[in-house]
Amino acid sequence: MKIVIATTFTPFVKSGSTYIVNGLDQSLKQRGYDVETFHFPFSDRPDEVLQQATALRLIDLSQFGDRLIAIRTPSHLLKHPNKVVWLLHSDRDAHGGSDALEDEARRQALLSADNIGLRESSRVFCNSVAAKIRMRRHSLDAEVLYPPLLRYDQFHCDGYGDYLLYFSRLTRRKRQWLAIESLRYTKTPVSLVIAGASDPDGEPYVAELRNLIHHYQLNHRVTLLPGWVPDDRKLELFAGCLAGLCFPLDDDSYGYSSLEAHASHKAILTTTDAGGVRELIVDGLNGLVRAPDPPAIAEAMDFLYTNRPATQQMGAAGPPRMKELGMNWDHVVERLLS
Amino acid sequence: MRIAVLNNCVPFLRGGAEHLADALTAKLQEYGHEAVLIRVPFRWDPPEKIIEHMLACRLLRLPNVERAIAIKFPAAYVPHPNKVLWLVHQFRQAYDFWGTEFQGLPDSVRGRQIRAAVIRADNHFFAEAKAIYTNSKVTGDRLRRFNGIDSEVLLPPLYDPVEVEQQECGDFILCLGRVNAAKRQHLVVKAMKHCKTEVKLIVAGRPESEADAVEIRNTIRKDNLAQSITFIDRFVSEKEKADLLRRCLAVAYIPYDEDSYGYVTLEGCLSKKAVITCIDSGGIDALVRHRETGFIVPPEPKVLADAMDSLYSDKPGAAAMGEAGFELARSLNINWDHVIETLTK
Repeated sequence: MKIVIATTFTPFVKSGSTYIVNGLDQSLKQRGYDVETFHFPFSDRPDEVLQQATALRLIDLSQFGDRLIAIRTPSHLLKHPNKVVWLLHSDRDAHGGSDALEDEARRQALLSADNIGLRESSRVFCNSVAAKIRMRRHSLDAEVLYPPLLRYDQFHCDGYGDYLLYFSRLTRRKRQWLAIESLRYTKTPVSLVIAGASDPDGEPYVAELRNLIHHYQLNHRVTLLPGWVPDDRKLELFAGCLAGLCFPLDDDSYGYSSLEAHASHKAILTTTDAGGVRELIVDGLNGLVRAPDPPAIAEAMDFLYTNRPATQQMGAAGPPRMKELGMNWDHVVERLLS
Repeated sequence: MRIAVLNNCVPFLRGGAEHLADALTAKLQEYGHEAVLIRVPFRWDPPEKIIEHMLACRLLRLPNVERAIAIKFPAAYVPHPNKVLWLVHQFRQAYDFWGTEFQGLPDSVRGRQIRAAVIRADNHFFAEAKAIYTNSKVTGDRLRRFNGIDSEVLLPPLYDPVEVEQQECGDFILCLGRVNAAKRQHLVVKAMKHCKTEVKLIVAGRPESEADAVEIRNTIRKDNLAQSITFIDRFVSEKEKADLLRRCLAVAYIPYDEDSYGYVTLEGCLSKKAVITCIDSGGIDALVRHRETGFIVPPEPKVLADAMDSLYSDKPGAAAMGEAGFELARSLNINWDHVIETLTK
């Protein structure tokens, strides 16, 4: 069976969707399929989005391959008689712009194009219940298909240290600051490691985090590691941490770092407003869920520090929980080719 | 520099241009650049699709890219303010193939319109590039003849040049590469019965179709030449290839009308072996000078046999030709240092 995968990307910028596309490409090839993967460059400039969507619409793949799997929007506009779509992120940030008439018209046009692409597809998959509900409102039926980790087996557990790990892109929406704000209310000596690459223009945010640490005099309890973290260092950070933190503001996706923490047998502390990660974490089973309120979070941090057997048990519940949700490539391949 | 290499792609098909694009991308990275290969699908059937894919390329954008290097139509149309072309060929159906059996496009009003649109668009959009290079003199000549566009030849190097070790001057002529009708290995096989010396032949390469393999096998049987011809009818590893090149007397590479100088030719030169080619082989003569670095002869078995015999009878002469070919290849600057410097300046 021949399979074409298509996605869009910004050249030279690491992104979750490119990572998943590469994982899918590799997983299909490992299972003996003939795979051809296209990464189309895509500029997010509002005045260039429509013409690029048109470009993809003009490209006709209908002679090639038994199935097209379209990932990042608007690759589902590509023509193919046997197309499935796996939407990995919501479009509400994309194609932004103002309330001006021109921008409004552009959004409408993209929405119509989006609907054409989705309705042509024999199946639509999304990566969260939130996305599924949103699409339901547009009368589109989608099946939730969670993106698995690419190198699950590399992660391991090397005990439970005294630090909580927030491993994520350093960007305001991920709310690393909430972790720092919470730490000052803790009563135990639990510490915090914040690591991840910052956005290209993310220096002000990193400076803000630094100031906050300094301001609360938490220098000895918070380690900030901004920048790309090499793989072996990352594995080590996860292997040795007490538990993982995940505080994004309403992200659709549960975030790879949650899966990485679980693959390292670590529990995850998250917030009620974090979005997709709530689909993974059941309070008390494989992590803790608290209101996005520093004293409440601090109390949970102390709990993880003090009640080691419970923390360890919640960490151990991670892998079975991932399996239950179908977060593995066997399941993903089976669904995308069904 | 952040560099995008642009190529088009017919899904699930790979050929010389795909290898060149992969090699260029990998070498750019090796030389310290950030490089990404961007492949745009291309389809020409029905012919109207050609126009749609040309338009698609015009509408695409290359954000976050500082330099684009495009090697093929229509991917070369993707706009970028800092673009250079390294064309491996144009859409030949609209150019030198037009009026031949390879034309592809229908000879109808619609077909002629599409052909004209391709030529007009090439004229217009190639002009956006800061510099235009071609992979061969043949490609460059065509670009001048049909489009009036000047270009410079930049010969593509081998990805991993063969190491010149202790060479032997063996008894056999070597034919390397994919086996098919256009590469004409069968002519060299048919030449063998006309040879007057004890010269041997090894044909090594994966046959493109069963028919290609059968033609060679049948000739060997019919001419009763199983003793002097070896047919290795499969993919030959780099290691096996290097060993064959080291041990052979000379290389024969006689494709019909190829644009490029042919990797096999360069492999022969870098192994210090004389190369036999034909007068209608095309760009091969960039690396072969008649009676200096090899033979350029008419595509006829008897004449090919004469060339093979004279190499066998005068091995010191054959070795000298090999040395001369090696020097010629070196003087042409066919190396990645030169290519990367040229394409990124």
